[in-house]
Amino acid sequence: MNSLFGVTFIAAVLLALGLFGVLARRNVLTVLMSIELIFNAAVINFVAFNRYLHPGGVWGQGVGLFVIALAAAEAVVGFALVLVVYRSFKSVLAENLDILKG
Amino acid sequence: MTVQDVVFLFLSLMIVVPAALTVTVKNVFHAALYLVVSLTGVAGLFAMMGADFLFVAQLLVYSGGILILLLFVVLLSGTPKDWAARAINEQWMAASLVSAFFVAALAVLLRALPEAAPAADAAPTTSALGFLLLRDMLLPFEAVSLVLLSALVGAVHFSKKDEVPS
Repeated sequence: MNSLFGVTFIAAVLLALGLFGVLARRNVLTVLMSIELIFNAAVINFVAFNRYLHPGGVWGQGVGLFVIALAAAEAVVGFALVLVVYRSFKSVLAENLDILKG
Repeated sequence: MTVQDVVFLFLSLMIVVPAALTVTVKNVFHAALYLVVSLTGVAGLFAMMGADFLFVAQLLVYSGGILILLLFVVLLSGTPKDWAARAINEQWMAASLVSAFFVAALAVLLRALPEAAPAADAAPTTSALGFLLLRDMLLPFEAVSLVLLSALVGAVHFSKKDEVPS
């Protein structure tokens, strides 16, 4: 259980849960939360491969650090967008934001 | 069932159960709080795998930064009609099928990974990461600082109220 398969399986479960949240939730903020879950699944994979397959180096952890930084930037922009959209539409449910619909 | 197995089981429960609750509960604030617990569990998993700098970075950036910001945004947005609405939309069956397929496919594919024995206790990684960032990954390091600056400026700019006629 404490092996490479166990850790990457946890990351796969997180990916699946985040995917479900992105596809099935109505509130836009919950969709953003699910995207953060997917990011964390990717970082767990990077760190796991670094630890079990390349024990001498830290490249996996370096890339994981960049993923965390980019996820922070994306979360900042996403939350600012949600606040601006809420100011205009007075709703954060994804189905009410439909003025670009053809 | 060694101590490491028990720790790994506890951490995986701390990650997976709050994550499942995040994507299913109706109250958005509760979902954000469950996400805090889950990502703190992810930080514990990093510490278990010997990535001590990443453990602290995850706590500082995610649990202490992004998720606090998320809690503020949850409190600042949403009408009572939004909070009382259904949380899951009509395509939840297709979504759960897609998620189940992904987990099943990955579980089958991940079996092919080499059965690597856990390495010996890893050395502290902070100085090694410092050397990596400033020697081998210098270009991504500078580029990420540019990305963070542009994200900050962009978020501040388009969230200002349009009061002054231009």
